[in-house]
Amino acid sequence: MFKNKKTFFTQLALFFAILGPGIITGSVDNDAGGITTYSVAGAIYGYSLIWTLIPSFIVLVVVQEMNARMGIVTGKGLADLIRENAGVKITFFIFVGLLIADIGNTTTEFAGVAGSMEVFGMSKYISVPIVAFMVWFLVVKGDYKIAERIFLIFSVSLLMYVVSAIMGKPHWSEIGSSIVHPKMPMDTQGLTIVIGIIGTTIAPWMQFYMQSSVIEKGLKMKHYKYLLIDIIIGCLATVVVAFFIIVACASTLHENKVVIEEAKDAALALKPLAGAIASQVFAFGLFIASIFSATILPLATAFYVCEAFGFEAGIDKKWNEAKEFYFLYTGIIIIGAAIILLPNAPLILISLWSQVLNGMLLPVVLICMILLVNNKKIMGEYVNNPINNIIGWTAAIILTALSVGLIVLPLFSK
Amino acid sequence: MTSITTFYLSRIVGIKAYDSNGKYIGIVKDLLVESESSNLTSGHPAVTGIKIKRSNQVAFYSFQQFQVEKLNGNIKVIASELSDLPQENINNDLSLIESVLDKQIVDLNGRKLVRVNDVRLVTLTNGTYAVAVDIGMEGLLRRIGIAKPLKFGLSVFGSNVPGKFINWEDFEAIDFSSQNIKLSKTYKKLQTLHPSDLADIIEELGKKASAEIFSSFDAEKAADVMEELEPETQVQILESLSIEKAADVLDKMPADEVADIFEGLEEEKIQLLLNEMEEETSQDVRELLVYPDHTVGSIMSSEYMSFNLNMTIEEVLAELRRTKPEFETLYNLFVTDENEVLLATFSIRDVVITPPDTPVSQIMKPSPVHLRDYQKINEVAEIVSKYNLLAIPVVDTKNVLKGMVVIDDVIEDLIRKRRTNK
Repeated sequence: MFKNKKTFFTQLALFFAILGPGIITGSVDNDAGGITTYSVAGAIYGYSLIWTLIPSFIVLVVVQEMNARMGIVTGKGLADLIRENAGVKITFFIFVGLLIADIGNTTTEFAGVAGSMEVFGMSKYISVPIVAFMVWFLVVKGDYKIAERIFLIFSVSLLMYVVSAIMGKPHWSEIGSSIVHPKMPMDTQGLTIVIGIIGTTIAPWMQFYMQSSVIEKGLKMKHYKYLLIDIIIGCLATVVVAFFIIVACASTLHENKVVIEEAKDAALALKPLAGAIASQVFAFGLFIASIFSATILPLATAFYVCEAFGFEAGIDKKWNEAKEFYFLYTGIIIIGAAIILLPNAPLILISLWSQVLNGMLLPVVLICMILLVNNKKIMGEYVNNPINNIIGWTAAIILTALSVGLIVLPLFSK
Repeated sequence: MTSITTFYLSRIVGIKAYDSNGKYIGIVKDLLVESESSNLTSGHPAVTGIKIKRSNQVAFYSFQQFQVEKLNGNIKVIASELSDLPQENINNDLSLIESVLDKQIVDLNGRKLVRVNDVRLVTLTNGTYAVAVDIGMEGLLRRIGIAKPLKFGLSVFGSNVPGKFINWEDFEAIDFSSQNIKLSKTYKKLQTLHPSDLADIIEELGKKASAEIFSSFDAEKAADVMEELEPETQVQILESLSIEKAADVLDKMPADEVADIFEGLEEEKIQLLLNEMEEETSQDVRELLVYPDHTVGSIMSSEYMSFNLNMTIEEVLAELRRTKPEFETLYNLFVTDENEVLLATFSIRDVVITPPDTPVSQIMKPSPVHLRDYQKINEVAEIVSKYNLLAIPVVDTKNVLKGMVVIDDVIEDLIRKRRTNK
């Protein structure tokens, strides 16, 4: 008995030492763009798109497991592997796409900062420059590792969406039936939102982030079991938060036919329907999520682009050693913040299109990944098993079909 | 026949090759060059073979009968006849596509990893040689196919895309994961780099390449590099080595460093390594392993020199010459009694400036500043700075000398703390 207990605690300690890559990735996943997409989906389609979270969850776990395995076996970043095996042209296409999508995403994060602080009565002309400078300063001059831990603790506050949702008194039977009988909306707006939900849940840049953090932790095959638990917890957290955001918006906004365009609208609209606390909780969650992602996203993007094209990168390098890296990093933050401060900037369009661009890049990255992870020269005995391949390929094919559908559908509807 | 043609690898890979009658042979897939071990007269390896694919059939031919020609900006690959490349070349020569293009290489002058965007080759009368690798923006743009229009556009404004090349002599290819090149032949040029630069490079590489490079070092070099690596990488590399090789490397390292590395290993592995290591070193390591983390004992070095107080300077010097201690060991010299109890210290400076027949007792400084082996580390830095010491003796509760803490270890500990904010 005692012995069992002891091994249980050693195992628990081991788990906490490894803990991180999956859970951090999962938390960053519910960023401002994600919250916006889920809110809009809930407000417009009610409970009817909730079923999309289930396939999203499965694909998310499978994809991140592949990333983790590749990181453990090769010790190389995904950008490195793509560049070395797919050549310059595909690499260039992926990373230019990623760069544009991520500038759009960063803009969305700052929109989240602006919107959430407006709920608390602070003008965006004050909040956005302050946050942008803080984020920049934190990474360039401060201690990124500590910041990451603090954000991680704060991101527990995302579970507050559960409170927001329950305060809206949702109809559980309708939720159940939507999951059991999934319906696919066959119009441009519906398709856009479905791709948006998948694109924001399984954001392409996340795969690069996941693989790098596994390498940085120096994990080995013997840690695989714990890492898998970490990934599943992270993905569950992502999907659970997404679920409650959709529910919160569906049970209040959708039933009262309130139309929203931004996550901020959702927070404001919740006030008369579910009370001031629900509204503030929603806004606070949005603020934390936005600032967390606004820190990681530009950093990660600058890092992968440099990795792929062979520039020096890393926050431990000096400005002179890694000019391209710091230039990109600073540039992404400045552009992202500046767009928000422009009067009449088409924020919703930017947010929507960066999610859709994510949704379209995803199959490309996914196909590259499946090819890499099946390559015996790279993975040795740890190549994919058939189940991984079936889920991976199915996801890639469905996502490609959805993306094509999104482009083709408007041509027929007119 | 033109005397000199320069061309880029990216321009000829993927194009069609013809024989002298204009008959189609196949598509150029790869070029092979002499590997580093061959006697390179010019420092630039000659192209030995060409890989050609024709309707799903891949063949290697000797490059001697091939000619690369440039006509009005178009590149042509023409073969006078086809002769198969010997299997020996296919096995041993360096594949430009598989091991160089798009791969990371070590820039020996910049002492860092860079990624290859293209390879520059030149055809002379006596053969074709690989001259340099392109690691700049221009190579990248050329590969994407927009270098020429962009350069033209920029030239209108009097600007240019900066090219960046590394001469073939000044880099080392390191990624042989998809080739069967024998390791003993390779990485020779890396040996010229400083161990801490090598450590930085190894940390940034993938698992396979870092393990391969590390195992190409001799035990002495490997030990120097191992000392400079980050703890996670140390463990990763040790686990990739055989127990025998790992023990050889650890034997060459100071016992306190070995004890530090063991903190990251499993008990079973530690015992295997200790049994395989030389008796003397493993004994020192075992003693250090007793001390818990963040005690002075865990960072102290067990290599020190202690003398009897009746010895003369002459005898001290003779002893130093005999044992040839490391530089660090000379930071502080100790006087102990027959029970190894610490009595005093003296410095190498005192030894140098004192006449040879003086006894140690005349130059030694009694009741020296010292540390206890179970003392907390965080008190050490203050003492070091207060007394301006390079090395402080460490004693146990009975004042028996156990080792000494060297300033480098204190600084290392401080830096690590700052980084991880423990």
